[in-house]
Amino acid sequence: MAKAAVAVARSYEREGRRGAAADYDVGLMLGFQKGNELAFQELVERNHSRVIGLIYRFISDASDAEDLAQEVFLRIYRARKTYKPTAKFSTWMFRITANVSLNALRSRANRRDDVSIDQMSDFGDGPRAMPDPDSRRPDLHLHQSELQEKVREAIQALPEKQQVAVILNKYEGMSYADIARTIGCTTMAVKSLLARARDNLKDRLLLYIHTGRGRQRVS
Amino acid sequence: MPSPCQWVRSVLAAYLDGELKPSTAKAVRRHLEGCESCRAHARLLKESWRLLDEVPPAPARPGFTGRMMARIVEEKDLSVFASRLRPHRLRRQVVASVAGLAAGLVFGFTVYTWTGLPPEPTSPVEREASRNILFLEDADLLDEIAVIEAMDRLMSPDETGDGA
Repeated sequence: MAKAAVAVARSYEREGRRGAAADYDVGLMLGFQKGNELAFQELVERNHSRVIGLIYRFISDASDAEDLAQEVFLRIYRARKTYKPTAKFSTWMFRITANVSLNALRSRANRRDDVSIDQMSDFGDGPRAMPDPDSRRPDLHLHQSELQEKVREAIQALPEKQQVAVILNKYEGMSYADIARTIGCTTMAVKSLLARARDNLKDRLLLYIHTGRGRQRVS
Repeated sequence: MPSPCQWVRSVLAAYLDGELKPSTAKAVRRHLEGCESCRAHARLLKESWRLLDEVPPAPARPGFTGRMMARIVEEKDLSVFASRLRPHRLRRQVVASVAGLAAGLVFGFTVYTWTGLPPEPTSPVEREASRNILFLEDADLLDEIAVIEAMDRLMSPDETGDGA
C-alpha cells in the first residue's frame, strides 16, 4: 500500500512540475483533485506535523492543536474541486492553518467575530496582552517552564499580523516573500511587521535575556 | 528624514534575517561597526529572538493520519446521506405542489357552485330584477353606450323593462 502511494505521488510530482511550481505536494493535491484518495492520505502524512506544530505555537495546547489540525485538513479536503496551484502548496496550507488558529484564539478570548487573515489587525495588543507582573522584581530567578510561559505571553501579546509573521518566520523558517504570500501582503509590509514585532518582543523580554550569569533578569 | 540610527534600526531585523539586498546590508554593517548604540540594539534583538527557542515544539502523538482518514470517511458518509435525501425531497415537493393545486381547484369549484349561482327568484319583482340582471350580464357583449342606455331604462319608473 505504501509503495503504491509513493508511486502515485511520484507520478503526481511530475504533474506538479507542469503546474505552477515544482512542488511535490501540488502534485499530490492535483492527484487528489482527480479522485485519488491515496494522494490526500500522503498529503496528510507529509504535512500534519508542521500543521500541528504551527497551531501549537498559537494556542499552546497539544490536544486542541490536533483537533484544529484536523479542521485544517478537512478544509483542504472540501476545497479539492476548486483548488488551483497558483503558489506552493505550503503557502495555501499555512494560510488555512493561520486562519483556523486565529479563529480559535478569538473564540478563547470570547470574541464573536470569525476573522480571517485579511481582517487581522496590525495594531493594538493581541488577545492576551497583560502587563508583566514581575517587572518590579529584579531579583527573580525564573524556572524553565516560567520562562517558556513568559515567551508565550510575549508572542500572544503581539497584534495578530505580527504574531503570524513571527511564528511563520521563527518556527517555520519562512522567508519574508513566503510570509507575504501566505498572509496576503507585500514583502515590504512583512519587513515592517517583523521589525515592529521584534522590537515589541525585545521590550517585553528585555528583563529575561540571558546574561551569561544564569537565567536571571537584566536590571 | 530619519537619522542614520533610526534608519538602521528600522531594517535591523531584516539585516539579521539576511533579507536585505547586498548593498543595503553592507551599509548597515558599516554603520554598526561605528555605532555602539546600534550594536547594543542589535544584540538585544538577537537575544530576545533566541528566547523564542525556549518554547518547545508540540508533543508528537502517533496515528494522526489514521484518525484524520477516519474523520474523512465520516464526512463522506454524511455527504452521501445528504445527497440521497435530495431526490426524495424533490419528489415530495412535486407531489405536494400538485396535491395543493388540485385541492385548490376542488375547493374553488365547490365554493363557486355553492355560492356562485343566484337563488331562483320567487316574487314578480325578483323575477323582473333577475331578468334585468341577466340582461346586464349579457352587456359584456355590448359597448359602453348600450350599457348606459340599458341602465337608464332600468332607472326610469315608466319603463316596462323589457330585457329580452
